[in-house]
Amino acid sequence: MAAVPQDTGRELRRIVRTNEEIKRVVATAFKINLMAMNAIFLAKRAGQTALGFGVLSNELRRFAMDLQKQMSQLREMTYGSVSTITALVKQARLNRVLERTRKESTGVGRSLIDEFMRTRHSLTFARHREQIAALNRRLSQMIADTAQLVELGSVLARSAKIEAAYGGAFSASLMQVSCDFERTIGDIQRSLESLTKRQDASL
Amino acid sequence: MKTARVIYEDGKHKWIALVRDPNRPDYLIDSNEYLVVDDDDSLLLDPGGNEVFPSVFSALSTEFDPRKINKLFASHQDPDIISSLALWLEFNPQVKCYISWLWASFVPHFGGNKETFISIPDGGMDIMIGSQRLQLIPAHYLHSSGNFHLYDPKAKILFSGDVGAALLPQGEDDLFFGDFDRHIRHAEGFHRRWMGSEKAKHDWCQRVSQLDIQMMCPQHGAIYRGDQVRRFIDWFSHLEVGIVKG
Ligand SMILES: [Fe+2]
Ligand SMILES: [Fe+2]
Repeated sequence: MAAVPQDTGRELRRIVRTNEEIKRVVATAFKINLMAMNAIFLAKRAGQTALGFGVLSNELRRFAMDLQKQMSQLREMTYGSVSTITALVKQARLNRVLERTRKESTGVGRSLIDEFMRTRHSLTFARHREQIAALNRRLSQMIADTAQLVELGSVLARSAKIEAAYGGAFSASLMQVSCDFERTIGDIQRSLESLTKRQDASL
Repeated sequence: MKTARVIYEDGKHKWIALVRDPNRPDYLIDSNEYLVVDDDDSLLLDPGGNEVFPSVFSALSTEFDPRKINKLFASHQDPDIISSLALWLEFNPQVKCYISWLWASFVPHFGGNKETFISIPDGGMDIMIGSQRLQLIPAHYLHSSGNFHLYDPKAKILFSGDVGAALLPQGEDDLFFGDFDRHIRHAEGFHRRWMGSEKAKHDWCQRVSQLDIQMMCPQHGAIYRGDQVRRFIDWFSHLEVGIVKG
């Protein structure tokens, strides 16, 4: 029982850290969206000389939008877990006081608390634990899905770099855009990796 | 744990004071909780803070079945008064809490929902406990802006919340006291600083002077008996309050 409050406190801090990381990824994903629009615009100006790049930039834009959708779902999920963990922290605090009450009580008070804590524990506590475990599983799954999506983005960025080489007079600026893409997607990948590591540690 | 002391008993009508926990950490202000019992019915007055719940609950159970606690009265909104609400609700989700309408939407931050609270209008109201009628006496601005005391006409006891409170030094913390002048020194600083309004103070002194009071039970410190009650009212009416000095 004594381990519970610290446990939940740690869990809450972990969720907060995860949230911060996800916020960072969301901000970056937004940047990708702008970059993709910029790439489409550039490809249009380059016209015939950058047909391949134009196709890729449309793909990248679709990718950016998918990523954003994924991110808002992720964020929603961490909000949900904050409220679950908060409820758990509150329960744990109540439990701590109840445990003290049990220790101090004698006679009818004692047996009342004993009985109360038994039912309360098996109901409330087990349910919260279950909720957290489920949340963690879903979060891990979603991070894995996102990582896969981002992997696709990174392939697109590499292809864009190759296409940029055929961009004639626009080659240099197309290359610049592709490299920015690649770097930004790399940032997201690193964030996701650390998220995955954190999730693995918690499961 | 605290001690449960029966301070009044007449047949099925009883007042139990829950007082003085020797293990209370010194960073928490000491508080008195009172249980008014009439037959099987009861009202718990100023149930106390979260931190003292274990001690209140265990002391209470020695005299009364805690499962039967279904009515609480909070004289005002302070944490030492009612922050244990969530715990009482854990035991009995049907518990009702009487509190000034002023605080009825603030105190749910400690626990409870729309069904939990019974708002007391500014003029006060009566509460039936068993066959006994108890009166909620307005004591606004002493110190809280929405504040009530409780008068039991049968027992002739006034529960006076923070009014009459004394911060007693260790070794001088008997539940009753002998020497008024000696005792009131421990109440003076508290009343000067916590009580906010001269006008409210005079109103209160006037109002309670008309009641027949055998015992005045504050939420902190010792209980006033007999003539000590009259002396307190007199002392309080002459005390300058609502001013920060220094
Ligand atoms: Fe107070
Ligand atoms: Fe108080």
